[in-house]
Amino acid sequence: MSEKQTVLVIEDDHSISNFICRALTANDYKAIPAFRGKEGMSLFFSHSPDLVLLDLGLPDMDGMDILAQFQDLPQDVPVIIISARDRENEKVKALDLGADDYVVKPFGVSELLARIRSALRRSERLKLSQGIQRDVYQIKDLTVDLSKHQVLLGDEEIHFTQNEFKILELLAIHAGKVLTYDFILKHVWGPYGGSGNNQILRVNMANIRRKLKENPSDPKYIHTELGIGYRMLDD
Amino acid sequence: MNFSQRVDRALQRMEELYRRVPAIPRDLAATAFFLFAAYGASRILIDHTGGENNSALVFVLAVVLISLVTHGYLYGIAASIIGAFCINYFFMYPYAAFNLTISGYPVTMMSMVAVSCVVCTLTARVKQQAIEAVRRERATKELYAMNEKLNAEKAAIQMQSEREAMRSDILRAVSHDLRTPLTAISGAVSVLMSSSDVSEKNLAMLNDIKQDADSLTVMIENLLSITRVQDGSVPLHKQPEMLEEVAGDALMATRRHFPNCRIQLELPEDILYLPMDPFLVKQVIVNLLENAVRHSGDLEHIRLNLFRQDDFAVVEVRDQGRGLPPDVCQAVQTGQPLPHSLSGDSTRGMGIGLSVCQRIIKAHGGFFAAGNDPKGGAVFRFGLPMEETDNE
Repeated sequence: MSEKQTVLVIEDDHSISNFICRALTANDYKAIPAFRGKEGMSLFFSHSPDLVLLDLGLPDMDGMDILAQFQDLPQDVPVIIISARDRENEKVKALDLGADDYVVKPFGVSELLARIRSALRRSERLKLSQGIQRDVYQIKDLTVDLSKHQVLLGDEEIHFTQNEFKILELLAIHAGKVLTYDFILKHVWGPYGGSGNNQILRVNMANIRRKLKENPSDPKYIHTELGIGYRMLDD
Repeated sequence: MNFSQRVDRALQRMEELYRRVPAIPRDLAATAFFLFAAYGASRILIDHTGGENNSALVFVLAVVLISLVTHGYLYGIAASIIGAFCINYFFMYPYAAFNLTISGYPVTMMSMVAVSCVVCTLTARVKQQAIEAVRRERATKELYAMNEKLNAEKAAIQMQSEREAMRSDILRAVSHDLRTPLTAISGAVSVLMSSSDVSEKNLAMLNDIKQDADSLTVMIENLLSITRVQDGSVPLHKQPEMLEEVAGDALMATRRHFPNCRIQLELPEDILYLPMDPFLVKQVIVNLLENAVRHSGDLEHIRLNLFRQDDFAVVEVRDQGRGLPPDVCQAVQTGQPLPHSLSGDSTRGMGIGLSVCQRIIKAHGGFFAAGNDPKGGAVFRFGLPMEETDNE
């Protein structure tokens, strides 16, 4: 890539911001630090970054408001949330508001970089496809063919029930993004069908995992975000 | 004991005795007593002075006294009528005979009865008021006492909630103010470690810093959980979860900390979907796995098994290391505090880690057991009740 990708880091803690920026520069990104919400907003508009890291606990603004404002914009810039541990609801809300992913303090550098890479890849794919949906999704050895309604693991076809296929399809389309339980339930079972009934989704997922011979401790395709949702791995 | 106290005691005792007699005979006796007294006094007066007007006053006094000690108007009025006849019979000429025709007697008698009646009603009312006053006072006292009690309870509740608020404030402060700098320390060290201009020696030290920062992080997690679960004041955030997902997540977290270890996850045929606080259960599994990694001396053969046993979803951590000392097994089994031998430097964190496990599992209503495999190695096993999901 000729031009360095730019990451806007909106984080009020200086030492965290420092090491994130150092890690980003060391990995060939251009990092722009912002320590306040307002500053972050104006830097977002002046620099139009490729990705935003957003701490939800900012002193001057609610991180959720910032996220909502980013999502109103026409260009789709991926946002990764930095959040404190004990706020599950906040994370779910942020993801439902359109954030791509989240990391929880304390997080490691490699984990953060992996998530940044994945989010950037996803936004790149979206830009290339320009809103046109593909028919075939290829994730490692897994092929999900939407037009043929077929799933291949290597060369072997695996049979899924209607709902299992729908879940896989949804995860494949949004590969790299964390999908919350509610999001999946709404898209697979409709707005009234599944909401509040987590069990049906979780059991389906357990079956998918068994058919794909996935071990949840070493997932190749479907990553569990504990208490939040699922994510199709794309690397 | 001085004289007045003695008199008080005697009076009290008399009053008690007096109260113990049933009301009607008591009142009758009192009425008779005062009438006789009035008769006696009048006789003495008449023998010494010869005037009969005084006896009417004596009898009025007796009627007043009677109405004071008896219930209602009846005794007083009856006494006044009897008195009027007594005066006529005993103390008016002709003595020892009724003569209602003496001039002026009907007026005297009527007025005496009238005065007695008025006095009776008045005393009765005074008595009523006295009783009322006593009752009111008692009610006031009770109200006061109740108020006092309520105030005390309110203060206690307030203090409790203040303490609760303070505790959650401290927890929030700890969770935020300790985790944030630890994240920064461990992150900065990772950045330094990956940069090219670090010598071999410094790299080893950086690695130590990173290890320590990471184990501090685990420690803080444990302390937070222990304060949360400790007295049951904070309810668990239970939600139905897939146990294999929680276990998988725990295993990945452990692998991140100890990249060299090899842990095998064994899944059950059954789907174990049960209510739990997923983050606390994850922490239990992480603690048990870390224990195995740190203390068994065997990194290669750690196994994490999930299975269903009756109404429990069971998680089992097995290693093939040196096994557990018997006092640890004992302590885990009985829920006793863990032996002090675990607080040495070499076993840092094991004691607190296991007691966190104990408490979290207890708060879930599960069981926790530890032992040694006869083929070698330690086995930790805990079960969480399945039943609550079945009702849904």
